[in-house]
Amino acid sequence: MISIQNVSKTYKGAPRPALDTVTLEIDKGDFVFLVGASGSGKSSLLRMMLREDVPSKGSIHVLGENLISIPGRRVPYFRRNIGMVFQDFRLLPNKTVHQNVAFCLEVIGKSPAFIADAVPAVLKLVGLEEKRDRYPNELSGGEQQRVALARAIVNKPQLLLADEPTGNLDPATSQEIVNLLERISAAGTTIVMATHDRGIVDKLKRRVVVLKEGKIVSDERGVGYEKAEEMR
Amino acid sequence: MKLGYVFGEVAQGLKRNLSMVVSIVLVTFLSLTFVGTAALLQLQISEMKNYWYDRAQVAIYLCSSYSPDEACPQGEASGDVKTAIEAKLNDSTLAPYVEKYYFLNHDDALKQFKEEFKDNTITEYVTADQLNETFWVKLKNASDGEIITQSFSGVAGVEEVRDQRSYLDQIFSMLNAASLAAVGIAVVMLFSSILLIATTIRQSAFSRRREIGIMRLVGASNFYIQLPFVIEGVTAAAIGSLLAGGAVFAIVQLFVQGYLAQALPFTNFVGLDTALMLLPFIFGIGVLLAAFASIASIRRYLRA
Repeated sequence: MISIQNVSKTYKGAPRPALDTVTLEIDKGDFVFLVGASGSGKSSLLRMMLREDVPSKGSIHVLGENLISIPGRRVPYFRRNIGMVFQDFRLLPNKTVHQNVAFCLEVIGKSPAFIADAVPAVLKLVGLEEKRDRYPNELSGGEQQRVALARAIVNKPQLLLADEPTGNLDPATSQEIVNLLERISAAGTTIVMATHDRGIVDKLKRRVVVLKEGKIVSDERGVGYEKAEEMR
Repeated sequence: MKLGYVFGEVAQGLKRNLSMVVSIVLVTFLSLTFVGTAALLQLQISEMKNYWYDRAQVAIYLCSSYSPDEACPQGEASGDVKTAIEAKLNDSTLAPYVEKYYFLNHDDALKQFKEEFKDNTITEYVTADQLNETFWVKLKNASDGEIITQSFSGVAGVEEVRDQRSYLDQIFSMLNAASLAAVGIAVVMLFSSILLIATTIRQSAFSRRREIGIMRLVGASNFYIQLPFVIEGVTAAAIGSLLAGGAVFAIVQLFVQGYLAQALPFTNFVGLDTALMLLPFIFGIGVLLAAFASIASIRRYLRA
């Protein structure tokens, strides 16, 4: 599903590389936490997987595409198989919940009939069918993140990338989002989630990859945050 | 492809950037009007060249008793001079260049003079012997005038050889300079309209950066993302081009046909058919430049 081999990334003017010879294999159906301090390279790694950025060195394959050599015009089609959510939700403020989700299907050319079926279904899944005509500023943070999640999965992606999706949410609301992610994972979607949130990592006992200063310092399954930190 | 979405975005973009769009329309309109006018002038020049060069002749003015002594020390040209000139025009060196020639004696010259200046009091004072007897030579190719000038200048009994084309060339080079000036202005203005379009598109893209970000994230094709912006730029330029086409039409109809053609009845002027022929070019230049400018600027924006 994802194969990262000896990837390094150096940004101009930065004192040390953002990623330093990172090697990581992620299988289909995995639920992986990327943990580490700010600036440890979690976001950079996610950006590479989405082909927002290209490594300076090494090779990266995602969903069978070689992301070093993929031609620019194929990138949009590659991204249609990936969903992504962010800490700051990134909803369009002038569109309703329903329109926000429908928009991302419209712009990839899905038929109105498909959209009419898929959007209510996914809003039901995230528990927002009652609020389909609300605007983002009328929703709580947790609800906004659920809209973002609905948008990310409405096209049934094989891979879901989440960059600190609970970073702006209180613990109870974070738990709702994580429950949703578990359901999505149970349906077979591969999930890679960058997070600071110890509580979540400890509770879920999934695979935990710890990054420090651009290097992977530990990669363990079924442990908590502390444990993973200790093991390095 | 959702055309509704695309045109909705275009309408929104045009509305949001109204003042920029109006300036694109105006600058495109003015620059293309200059382009059109320059083209009209060029076509007018070539039409006039065809007409006048065809009629331009070389005049060999013979000495008369009034000619200045430096040119004509022997006074009035004799019959021998005329026979010699005629023989030279007919011989194998010059004959291939000459289409026809005719001789105008003093009386015919006076008759022609009175015809040309019939409303002028000068005709009352001019007498036949004051006017030069003249060989009018019509060439097969009007640009060969130099050959006749060379052959007869300085020949005894010839006061002056004059190629009418030399008068025409002066007029044409003035008209040419005017049309080049129009082209120069047009180029500068077209350049500024390209820059204006690029700026407007970038501004428009900036105000829609959230949407663009989401579209890139979810995998909308670049073509789909760019299309509304390109249509926005092209629409503004197309309106300007149509106005310019209208202006060229108006210039031909009101100024050329309505004024010049009345004032100078014996000259052939460009007509509405010429303006009609120019229309697709004016429109094409405007639309192509706008498409080029929009695509280039939105590409640069999306890459960043």
